[in-house]
Amino acid sequence: MIIQVKNLVKRYGDLVALDHLSFNVKEGEIVGLLGPNGSGKSTAIHCILSLLKYDKGDIEIFGKKMTPDAYDVKRDIGLVMQNVAVFDELTVYENINYFCGLYVRDRAERKRLVDEAIAFVELEAFKKFYPKKLSGGLLRRLNIACGIAHKPKLIILDEPTVAVDPQSRNKILEGIEHLNAQGATIVYTSHYMEEVEQICSRIVIIDKGRVIASGTKEELKAMITLGEKITVEVFTIEEDQLRVLREQPGIMSVDYVSKQLIIKSDKGNNNLEIVLEFLKANHIGFGRIYSELPTLNDVFLEITGKQLRD
Amino acid sequence: MFIHVFIYRFKCLIRDRQMVFWTLLFPLLLATFFYMAFINLNSDETFRPIHAGVISNAAYQQDQSFRSVLTDVSKGEDRLFNLKVASSKEKADQWLKSNRIQGYYFISGKELHLTVKGSGMDQSIMKSFADQYRHDHIAVEDILQTNPLALNHGLMADVSNHQSFVKETSGGSAEPNNILNYFYSLIAMACLYGSFWGMKEIIDIQADLSDRAARINVAPIHKLNAFLAGSCAALVILFTEILILLAYLHFGLKINFGNRAGYVLLTAFIGSVLGLSFGAFVSAAVKKGEGVKTAILMAVSMGGSFLSGMMVMNMKYLVAEYVPLLAWINPVNLLTDAFYSLYYYDSLQRYALNMGMMCAFIVLFCAGTYQIVRRWNYASL
Repeated sequence: MIIQVKNLVKRYGDLVALDHLSFNVKEGEIVGLLGPNGSGKSTAIHCILSLLKYDKGDIEIFGKKMTPDAYDVKRDIGLVMQNVAVFDELTVYENINYFCGLYVRDRAERKRLVDEAIAFVELEAFKKFYPKKLSGGLLRRLNIACGIAHKPKLIILDEPTVAVDPQSRNKILEGIEHLNAQGATIVYTSHYMEEVEQICSRIVIIDKGRVIASGTKEELKAMITLGEKITVEVFTIEEDQLRVLREQPGIMSVDYVSKQLIIKSDKGNNNLEIVLEFLKANHIGFGRIYSELPTLNDVFLEITGKQLRD
Repeated sequence: MFIHVFIYRFKCLIRDRQMVFWTLLFPLLLATFFYMAFINLNSDETFRPIHAGVISNAAYQQDQSFRSVLTDVSKGEDRLFNLKVASSKEKADQWLKSNRIQGYYFISGKELHLTVKGSGMDQSIMKSFADQYRHDHIAVEDILQTNPLALNHGLMADVSNHQSFVKETSGGSAEPNNILNYFYSLIAMACLYGSFWGMKEIIDIQADLSDRAARINVAPIHKLNAFLAGSCAALVILFTEILILLAYLHFGLKINFGNRAGYVLLTAFIGSVLGLSFGAFVSAAVKKGEGVKTAILMAVSMGGSFLSGMMVMNMKYLVAEYVPLLAWINPVNLLTDAFYSLYYYDSLQRYALNMGMMCAFIVLFCAGTYQIVRRWNYASL
């Protein structure tokens, strides 16, 4: 086990930020900590890294109790902060070299690692640039390079794609998958469910400081009753017809909003066929039809009764 | 690891142009402005002979003793008067009106008269001279009436020999110099501006103050080692800046620091450590944003400079007289006073007292900072 968190409790006065939070991370995984803003993701990360005091609980990393002076544990951890944490007075190369130098003493080895990190985030052309001259996306890549240059076994990325353009975001996500492929275990926190769905092998959903669900994305989606969401462009439909549609087998809910008929059905087969036959039988004219599988937001919605981004 | 952190902290600090401006260029500019403003201050206080006149009428020609005295005090380098002899009262009035003289003497019968235009130091001196002459003249006349032979026994020598019953002693061999205090307090201010370097070090090592610090806190390096390395880099920069300022003042502006160069350098070093440790302590203790910390450091540096006489020289003496405790807890004043003690006093007693107080403050600030910085993790980030 790379990380083991048991019954972690963190209070800020009367506010319980982490409420008996427990989860673990196995070697080679990309574990996503998913939750809305304020759910306790960053607090959990800060406690894991011994930056924050906590009221109760146990944290082990690489099988050892994590403490502020556990240097042998810290040596194999890389951290990419939510905010860009670099020195404006140092160039791209110097920033990476400085942070890498806190882990690696040997100069030649360090130079090799820094060059590799620069190549990894594709900042070769910007080596001598100062951070203020970099765009937001490039700055984020520098931030990542500073956290991973020393080739850690465990990399913790705390919302590394906040305020990043789509192109840079894709590069960052590809990079994380690449690091994982090279053997690093990744903990990735985000409130972007698409990102977590895209790269994480296992997802821990957190709300109000508690783990409300965890598993692979398939396992999480299997936990809920929603099987399919069908959206049909319908120009007019009577209330009586909606009531009859709701009574059809497999249909969980029906809403009609802005000429869009939104039908949520269970995991049974032929739900789309049932809907289409109903529309035809009742001579209801319709336009375009979409069918979607449930998302992590649907999982979150069904468990908590609120949207992930509420 | 220490050297690695030292080198990179040095680079970070020395490339911070804003900080370098406030801690080096600003004091240099201020010193230059002080120099331009105060260069004539001492020369204004040196005595210059008074342009005085005397009417050369018959009575003046007959009064041998007054002529002799007036001629005596109007010759030589340290003469009292630049004497102009007028042939008539009209001529003397004309000179007085056109400000060529500050006043004129004339003798009518046996009376010595003085005519001046307006009032001032020169006029007062002319009046004092006339009063003294009248007093001595009457004394000689009285003595001669009772003892005509007194002249033969050195009466004139006795009369002109004024004895003071108050003995003046100097604290040191150096000349008192009013403008030096301005420059000494300026150096003290520059040292206290070093508190901004201390603040920067704290912000970059306390994880609850910056993300950069959080990143350093998760690295396998002892936090106090990193802080010490950074503080050493800051001290090297600050002390170098103070040395540059001292060199500019001494060699460029010819400001006198006395003859004890070693002690001056020691004072500059202790001042640098004091500024740095003060900034680190305030930044660690005040749990507010960078803006508030900066405001506090600025207020203490500038307020301390004001109270130690950087803007109004008498302020230093007023504080020392009426609120002596404030003078002893004002680090800018301690530094200013240490420099002035080195310049003015032959004894090192007062200097040692100032240095002792500064060292006590340094110990206090370092101990306080250590208590706060040594904490490994935080209640909140």
